[in-house]
Amino acid sequence: MGEARSIGSFEEQVMLGVLRTSGDAYGMAIRRELERVTGREVAIGAVYATLDRLESKGLVSSARTDGGSRRVFQLTRSGLRALGETRDARDRLWSGIDLATPGLAVRRT
Amino acid sequence: MPTLPSLPARVLRALLPFAERDEVLADVSAEYGERLRAEGAWAAGWWVWRQVAASVPPLLRRTFWRGMTGFEPRANSLSPGGPFMESWIIDLRFALRRLRRRPQYAALAISTLALGVGGAAAMATIVRSLVLKPLPYAAEHELGHFWFPGSWSESEHLYIRAEYPGFGKVAAWRHEGVIFQPPQRAARLLPAVSASAELFDVLGRGAHLGRVFQAGDDLVNAAPVAVLSHGLWRELGGDRSIVGRTLRLDGVERTVVGVMPPGFWFPDPTVRLWVSEALDPDNRSGNYTLLGRVAPGVTIGGLGPHLARLTARLGERYDYPPQWDKTVNPEVTPLREALLGPMRPALLATLAAMGMILLIACANVAALMLGQVEGRATELAVRAAVGAERGRLLQQVVAEAALLGLGAGVAGGAVAAAAFRLLVGSLPLGAWAEGASPDWTVFAAAMLTATGASLAIALVPVLSLVRGDLRGTLATLRTSGVGVRGGRLESALVVAEVALAVVMAAGAALLVRSVHNLYAIDPGVRVEGLAVVDVALPSETTGPERHRLLRELRAELARLPGATAAATTEKLPLRGNGNSTLIEVEGRADLGRTTTFFRTVSTGYLEAIGMPLRAGRLFTDADRGLEPPPQGGEMPIVVNEALAARYFPGEDPVGRIVGGIGMRERIVGVVGTAAEGDLTDPPAPARYWLVDHMDVPSQDQTFVVRAAPGLDPEALLEPARRVLQQRVSAMAIQEMTTMDLVLAQAVGPARQVMLLLGLLTTLAVVLGAVGVYGVISHFVLRRRREWAIRLALGLGPTQVVGNVLQRGARLVGGGIAIGVGSAAALARLVDALLYGVGPGDPLALAAAAAVLLLVGVLAALLPAWRASRTPPGLLLRDV
Repeated sequence: MGEARSIGSFEEQVMLGVLRTSGDAYGMAIRRELERVTGREVAIGAVYATLDRLESKGLVSSARTDGGSRRVFQLTRSGLRALGETRDARDRLWSGIDLATPGLAVRRT
Repeated sequence: MPTLPSLPARVLRALLPFAERDEVLADVSAEYGERLRAEGAWAAGWWVWRQVAASVPPLLRRTFWRGMTGFEPRANSLSPGGPFMESWIIDLRFALRRLRRRPQYAALAISTLALGVGGAAAMATIVRSLVLKPLPYAAEHELGHFWFPGSWSESEHLYIRAEYPGFGKVAAWRHEGVIFQPPQRAARLLPAVSASAELFDVLGRGAHLGRVFQAGDDLVNAAPVAVLSHGLWRELGGDRSIVGRTLRLDGVERTVVGVMPPGFWFPDPTVRLWVSEALDPDNRSGNYTLLGRVAPGVTIGGLGPHLARLTARLGERYDYPPQWDKTVNPEVTPLREALLGPMRPALLATLAAMGMILLIACANVAALMLGQVEGRATELAVRAAVGAERGRLLQQVVAEAALLGLGAGVAGGAVAAAAFRLLVGSLPLGAWAEGASPDWTVFAAAMLTATGASLAIALVPVLSLVRGDLRGTLATLRTSGVGVRGGRLESALVVAEVALAVVMAAGAALLVRSVHNLYAIDPGVRVEGLAVVDVALPSETTGPERHRLLRELRAELARLPGATAAATTEKLPLRGNGNSTLIEVEGRADLGRTTTFFRTVSTGYLEAIGMPLRAGRLFTDADRGLEPPPQGGEMPIVVNEALAARYFPGEDPVGRIVGGIGMRERIVGVVGTAAEGDLTDPPAPARYWLVDHMDVPSQDQTFVVRAAPGLDPEALLEPARRVLQQRVSAMAIQEMTTMDLVLAQAVGPARQVMLLLGLLTTLAVVLGAVGVYGVISHFVLRRRREWAIRLALGLGPTQVVGNVLQRGARLVGGGIAIGVGSAAALARLVDALLYGVGPGDPLALAAAAAVLLLVGVLAALLPAWRASRTPPGLLLRDV
């Protein structure tokens, strides 16, 4: 396995946004999806800057749609892998944590 | 479809990926429309602005990261920023490459600009911190100092204290050095203020720890208290339990009642503590300054009628001699002006000089850039011909200026930090110099100045490009792209530079003349070869002990190797007015109440300081006697010529009796008049009393030690200090100096500003010379072909040199004409520092003009010589 590309949390959100709107993942749609799910306002400029950075890292790729002039994004192979690794790492970190009883949060197994 | 507000739309359009910006904007517009319907115009507009505000930073960051690092694919139409940002990035990189390829040009431009920027930024910071910062008191515009500062008495203050007409509260304060002896360390003198209980109430500031003075602290029987400055408190260990403890100050146990907050000072930042004074209604010695806060509804300007009532009350009780009559012309000076006013002329003159240096530096760099643009004329013309937009060409010039400005800002910050220290050390800031240190604002000021300067500079080549006919330049391609005409803008810049340099040189020349005039005044003493040590005797000592100490120390100092004599006085000449007292002359009741200076000196003092004897004799050991003469007895005194002339016109004063202090003073001798007050004061009458005749010699004494001829008096200072402190460990040395330096101090701010302005003028003249050199070099270069032709046709090289020099002289002459005209107007800036010379002094103006003319012609000489050596063969080769 190649070196894991570290991705930031907003990058992760944008990549998930690409997946969630797949097929029609252009900037504005991703922005709307993120706002809808997270409930926070997202700036269109931040989305485009992040998409551009992800593309230069090779985690997403873009192509024009056949009919329209919109650029539609999709995750590349390494993008999917990076997303998966991020999730695994997070799951490992979360394992054994029980927020309901904070003082005794970590159970050693 | 609803249209977006235009400004946000334009910002987004400029920064979004070029290829998609229309679609994205359409999407944004659509959402804007939905929100318009659902939430109303205001909420929708607010949303758009939030979108823009949150979009700009990531887009800009992304764009620049891409563009500048080169690690990633270049910006393209699919990336944020689009062609607009891309073009700036390309131009900045292009400018950077150009500057790297021309390191000399870049270094010259950046260092010239950095010099100007650094100096101006440092000076602006100093002025800001001294003049523009609010004083650390509440509502400072309500505070003011009374007329006759330093001459009010405890008696007067207590008399009117209950109700000062027009004032809320008034405090009496005076400077005082208190001797502080920390355990196991040498005694030292702390600058302090002794004040009445109202001081902090008037200033409107509370304590950081404990309390400030309160009513009753200044009663005769009250326990003495002290309030420490934050700095002194920190120095003593910063222990909060210090409040309530006692400190031994000047032999008195004082209870520390409070510590002031950091940043508080009064009346200047060197004062370390404030002590309460036990006010005595019978004490009429006037050495206090009154500080008042006007009553609510009264302004300092509107105090007139109140002051009239105040002076009427004073007049009822006190009988003032005419020269100290406090009942006439009462005036309250706003505190800011009283504290900072004396520094203003020097600060403003230096700030103006720094501004001029900056302008000259800008003009120089602008001329340099102009030269660069002209050197690229062919390139630019070709680019324009093949379709380059003119705006883009201008953008390149601005990008280059911006880079130069950036470099100058960074270098200028370093220059500013260094200049700050230099300026603080050499400006007449007195107590303010201590504690002044450069902070981040210096660098901010440097950056800001550099940005402004670089934009101003860019304007010049931009102007020449806009006005110039680029396509016409192509026509001159045959002549290597160098036209015969042109350079007018460049010449104008140099004329302006020379004019500014003339103004500065004239200002410096005026100050040189003033200082020369001041030094030409005879202070009436032999200034050279005299060491001066100011001490404070231990306060516990009694009168007889002090007499014995002074006698023994004098003898020991006179025995130091290299010393020929030693003596003491309570106050040296050239250090301000000092004490005055009444004089009565037997048989001259017509004189009324009048006062003269008096100085209490030891035997040998008048000889040691070099006051020439004019009649009678000086003090001898026989005058001393073993103890002070009884009240009503007679004591021998020496007077100066000014006193003799004023009170005994046409008579011989020797042997006559004067009085005033309840004793008969018999005049035994007359000495020449020394400048007992300030250097520029008119001759003032003074009496010299023998210290041995005083019951208790004053605590503050000044030792003067005359060095053997040819010996540096400074070499005596250290041995003198050792003698004094070995002998009396509780003796505090206040200052060690020489009479030369006392005189320099008395010559005052004019001297310090002269040195500084002289330095800056040199810089201005050098920069001006560089400018002239540059312009003439270009002029010569532009006409190379012409010289070649002329030389080929038989024109002599000397004629070519003359021709070029003429050109240089014309430029410099124009600058001088403008400069001399403005110098007369701008000399008002240094007016307050001038002595014995008017602001329009023709000699100073002529000197300034002559220097610039000489330097200008010299600067033109090298290019002129080069022109005369133009090989005629050039003509053949270049065609």
